[in-house]
Amino acid sequence: MTRSSMVTSRRRKALRRANVPGLLTMLVLLGLWEILVRFGVTEFQFLPAPSAIARGAERLLRSGDLQGNLLHTLRVTTLGWLAAGLLGISLGLLLGLSNTAWRYSMASIEVMRAIPPVSLVPIALLVFGFSVRMELTIIVFVSAWPVLVNAIAGVRSVRAELVDVSRMLRLSRLAQIRKVILPGAMPSIVVGLRLAMSLSLVLAVVAEMIGNPSGLGHAVIRAQQALQPEDMFAYVLTIGMLGVALNTLLRFVSARVLPSLATGPGDAR
Amino acid sequence: MVAPVASDHAPACGCRNVSVDLDSTEGPRRVLAGVDLDVDDAEFVAVMGRSGSGKTTLLRVLGGLLLPTEDSTVTFHGEPISGPPDGAVFVFQDYAASLLPWRTVERNVMLGLEGKVSKPERHSRVAEALAMVGLAERATDYPWRLSGGMQQRVQLARALAMRPSVFLMDEPFGALDAMTKSSLQDELQRVQERTHATVVFVTHDVDEAVYLSDRIVILEGDPATVTQRIQVDLPRPRDQLATKEMSEFLRIRRRVYDAIVHGDE
Repeated sequence: MTRSSMVTSRRRKALRRANVPGLLTMLVLLGLWEILVRFGVTEFQFLPAPSAIARGAERLLRSGDLQGNLLHTLRVTTLGWLAAGLLGISLGLLLGLSNTAWRYSMASIEVMRAIPPVSLVPIALLVFGFSVRMELTIIVFVSAWPVLVNAIAGVRSVRAELVDVSRMLRLSRLAQIRKVILPGAMPSIVVGLRLAMSLSLVLAVVAEMIGNPSGLGHAVIRAQQALQPEDMFAYVLTIGMLGVALNTLLRFVSARVLPSLATGPGDAR
Repeated sequence: MVAPVASDHAPACGCRNVSVDLDSTEGPRRVLAGVDLDVDDAEFVAVMGRSGSGKTTLLRVLGGLLLPTEDSTVTFHGEPISGPPDGAVFVFQDYAASLLPWRTVERNVMLGLEGKVSKPERHSRVAEALAMVGLAERATDYPWRLSGGMQQRVQLARALAMRPSVFLMDEPFGALDAMTKSSLQDELQRVQERTHATVVFVTHDVDEAVYLSDRIVILEGDPATVTQRIQVDLPRPRDQLATKEMSEFLRIRRRVYDAIVHGDE
């Protein structure tokens, strides 16, 4: 295979993987939106055309506001997610492995995780005031639940036969957890972590809108109050793209981590 | 490969008055009652009985995976045990569920050696065990890629790598086809011959029990006890065709069938 033909075939494969029909539809919809606003078909005073939004975004990028707010939200989301993950996994291991602990705590867990997360924001505001701490606390408290619940389920789903194997091979408790229980629970834990990521972003934005005066959420509200719809939309779209980026990253990482766990005879290799 | 030396007079596995209560929906149910069984060093004992007769329970008690009632005594090379002893290894019936799907064949075989034996020693033992079961070329494959017979061989290799003095096998060849079964039976025989290990083998298959063992023990009743002990004095090494044609083989086989089908007569 010549070098140039390798490059062409790689480009062709990339094109095939890119969602061409999906992208085309999006472009058509954007075009439609632009036309509707330009020709005054829609009467909304504060619904800008995509071109106006693009100009607003460019302005925000040049002033550095977009990056600054993006970075804040990204940092808080990631930090909160990591803390929620660590908390959820360690507690989940404990509750999954200890029947007594599980029996005593499951009812409380079911109640606490049922509380709509957004309704906790005013409480956090009262307790912590307008601060990053308030934002992080909300994120961690709410995002930990899916990780916890999935970790518990994952641990308990490890087959009894494997536990027998680890016992008869006289693995230490630590080795048993590290080599059998944790890998066995991993698929479930990863699901919990991905759910937690979506929650973390949402709660970060909400907390920024209501409590902590920084980040993308706060910027959206400020733009709204200043009657600057282009900026507002630009920020909202940024939030959306951040969510997509984080989710894609997680999906990529979990695909690398999980293949040896998830493959079965059905996967062609 | 030499099995660790045990005390001269103590049996490899011993049960005295062993009773086991298991949880059921109606409360604790006595599954085994007053079982006495001694398995001597290098002896091959087959445990038989009807489905649900407590064979697996007895095996788990011998291997320390299950604790019997307070007045029971379970010993391993003369020492009472309260958990899986060092030197006893199980081979379970459900091979697919007993292998770690996220580890390759060789890392599965290595599982029991990690942290206990040096790295070069680990690798050499794993290679030796895989060679013994004929899976040296599949060392880097994942279990799901292997056939049922091969997966069971991986479990066997894992047990072999531990160099145990006692193999506790729970219908290990029950889910395999006839050809694989007979080849694994012969492999097991060769291993036992070479290592002088003790084997306690639970099976439903009368032919298999008579072919492989030195003694057959039959569990019966509810709760179950040992009702019959049948000595199998057939010459070793045994051959799939020659041994099974001997009149003594057929006589013992008939005896075992009668014992299981017609009960204590």
